[in-house]
Amino acid sequence: MEYGLKPLGREKLWLLALLMPTLIGLLFGALGSVIATVVLSFAKWDLLTPPTWAGTINYVSLVTDQKVLLSLTNTLKFTALYVPGVVVISLLVAVLMNRKIRGVSLFRTAYFLPAVTSAVATALVWNMIYGKDTGLLNFILERLGIPAVCWLCTDTAMYSVVAVNIWGAIGEGMIIFLAGLTAIPREYYDAADIDGANGVQQFFRLTVPLITPSIFFQGLMSTINAFQAFDYIYMLTRRGQGDSSIPVVVFSIYRNGWYFFNYGGASAQAIMLTVVVAVFMALAFWLERRYVVYE
Amino acid sequence: MKMRLFALTVLVSLLLVACGGAKTPAPAASAPAEITMMMWGDPAELDVWNQIVADFHQATPNISVKVEVSDWDSYWTKLKTLLSAGTPPDVFAMDAPLYLDYQSRGVLLNLQPYLDKNPDMLKGVYPQTLEAYKTADGMYGLPRDFQTIVLFYNKDMFDEAKVAYPSGDWTYDDLRTASKSLTKIGSDGKVTQFGFYSDLWDMELIWSEAIWAYGGDIINADHTKTLIGEPQAREAWQLFHEMMFVDKSWPDSTTAGEYGGDPFLAGVAAMTTIGHWAVPGYAEAGFKWDVAPMPKGPAGQTTSVNSAGFVVGKASKNPDAAFEFLKYVLSEPAQKRLAELGFACPVLTTVAESDAFLKQPTPIDQKIFIDSLAFAHMKPVFKGYDEWSSAIGDGMATIWTGEAELGPTLDAAVTAADEVLAKNK
Repeated sequence: MEYGLKPLGREKLWLLALLMPTLIGLLFGALGSVIATVVLSFAKWDLLTPPTWAGTINYVSLVTDQKVLLSLTNTLKFTALYVPGVVVISLLVAVLMNRKIRGVSLFRTAYFLPAVTSAVATALVWNMIYGKDTGLLNFILERLGIPAVCWLCTDTAMYSVVAVNIWGAIGEGMIIFLAGLTAIPREYYDAADIDGANGVQQFFRLTVPLITPSIFFQGLMSTINAFQAFDYIYMLTRRGQGDSSIPVVVFSIYRNGWYFFNYGGASAQAIMLTVVVAVFMALAFWLERRYVVYE
Repeated sequence: MKMRLFALTVLVSLLLVACGGAKTPAPAASAPAEITMMMWGDPAELDVWNQIVADFHQATPNISVKVEVSDWDSYWTKLKTLLSAGTPPDVFAMDAPLYLDYQSRGVLLNLQPYLDKNPDMLKGVYPQTLEAYKTADGMYGLPRDFQTIVLFYNKDMFDEAKVAYPSGDWTYDDLRTASKSLTKIGSDGKVTQFGFYSDLWDMELIWSEAIWAYGGDIINADHTKTLIGEPQAREAWQLFHEMMFVDKSWPDSTTAGEYGGDPFLAGVAAMTTIGHWAVPGYAEAGFKWDVAPMPKGPAGQTTSVNSAGFVVGKASKNPDAAFEFLKYVLSEPAQKRLAELGFACPVLTTVAESDAFLKQPTPIDQKIFIDSLAFAHMKPVFKGYDEWSSAIGDGMATIWTGEAELGPTLDAAVTAADEVLAKNK
């Protein structure tokens, strides 16, 4: 993994000076809140009266509280569906967009649009598409003679919501993969052509191995996004007081902290989420060492 | 060497910048006082409150008020953050059901000493709106306006179906019958017009009223036991369930969501039950509508009353000025402005019963909202209300999407709600 230039001598000082604004921000902002969250996760705190020591009770309720367990299951399910979906679909879109097609920039813009549109506004449109009686999707299904589906009912909502989230993330994934694809030297493909490899073979034997750094990066970003996903899920499945029919951990943290005067419990859940993400990151970096090829 | 010195200077100055934000200038202690007031609301409300504040400043020139308005969700987040930092606004808005969550945690100023010095101040105020703010050692908040729930009906739909308008003598059975006649089901089995719609997540819009009318109750007096699973309450739930899934005169929650969560406003439901806050929105709905009192049940006629009010932060540096402002909010000029705003009912009887409220631009029978106070029950107020009501709202949500059975799901929701009560005791 040796790449790039190494700073030498006096440059090191400059490096430090230029990084300092960010580092100070992280130190006082992020690190401070991380430490505060760890401390508060062992406390009973309602935000209004001084916190009191609660021992491990907040951590015990992580495994005994059905609602917390449900939210964790939903988050993991969401991640398992979302991450492969984003990586595979945006890679395919990027490969298509990398060809010399007439009006390719128009298509690229179209695929990128969801990324720059307000999630709240697009979720409203998706609500119309998913509607049970008045929705566009069911209208099409019925014309085709297929019975209507309740897209946002409890057992189908997860898939419908994942689909919208993937749709919203294709644009960003496409940009990452396009950057990776354009970096592959044209000569490799010419050589493969001469050797008689067809398009599919070229894709799996040449393209995929050469853009593993992009796949790794996009997988990592998608995993982080999956654990933080909130807006589309909220807009499509919300109920009263910040509840949702498929509550994920972020919902649970938010509700416990801001609605139920249970900041300690919310902190413990945040720590739990961090640990889960950390495990995934460790796994990802292990995979990186094994499979990712840097040119 | 020169470079190193420069880098050091950069570092030090950055550190100074990073630490500089902690200090805030001490507020000027002497009069004239400036107080901050925070509330939830929309831009139309902000305009009216800025007007009220300007009037107040004119009447009391040495006090000026800075108004800050946020939407409902961010309001509570902001407020809790400010309170936990020990820098709350001097005056802030309170919703009665949430009042005890704050009062019991000692962040509100006891207004009783001030009220004792102004014995006539609450004379003209509807007593039902004061009830929620009373505690064993006095009042920590004062109402500014109130909401009673009434029946809204689409006149055009009633005329078309040749059904008589709802009267004050309607029972819940009459409501069901009329809803059925107003429902239109197409040849493909799809409902194109519903007779009735009301939201079932929170108790305020329909279910507390119906449970009371059927002789049941919501929660016991010492707030240790949830009563919405008792036999009389079940009759109310059963009625909703049959209207929704047998008569199909009431859209389930998924269908209601397709109409933006309010099928009445969308013009596909003939009736709804809601408070005065819906009036400005419905006024632009493009159909003729009016209001009627809530229906009667076997145990009589009931509705729900809930008041929004103001409290003073215990950490306020200007409690006297803050109280002066609360006093002004309850005065005739301020209450008149609130009446004209049209989002709520004024708490001052002389204003509520005057043309300022009764003769509003929306030509509906405004008096119904005031008269409903006579048979109104107070929306329950207790510590941990939000979490308790979420246990019920979340717990029963799958019934109203048509995915779960009424009986066992209701039982489970009651158990979950009782667990919340035990935990927050």
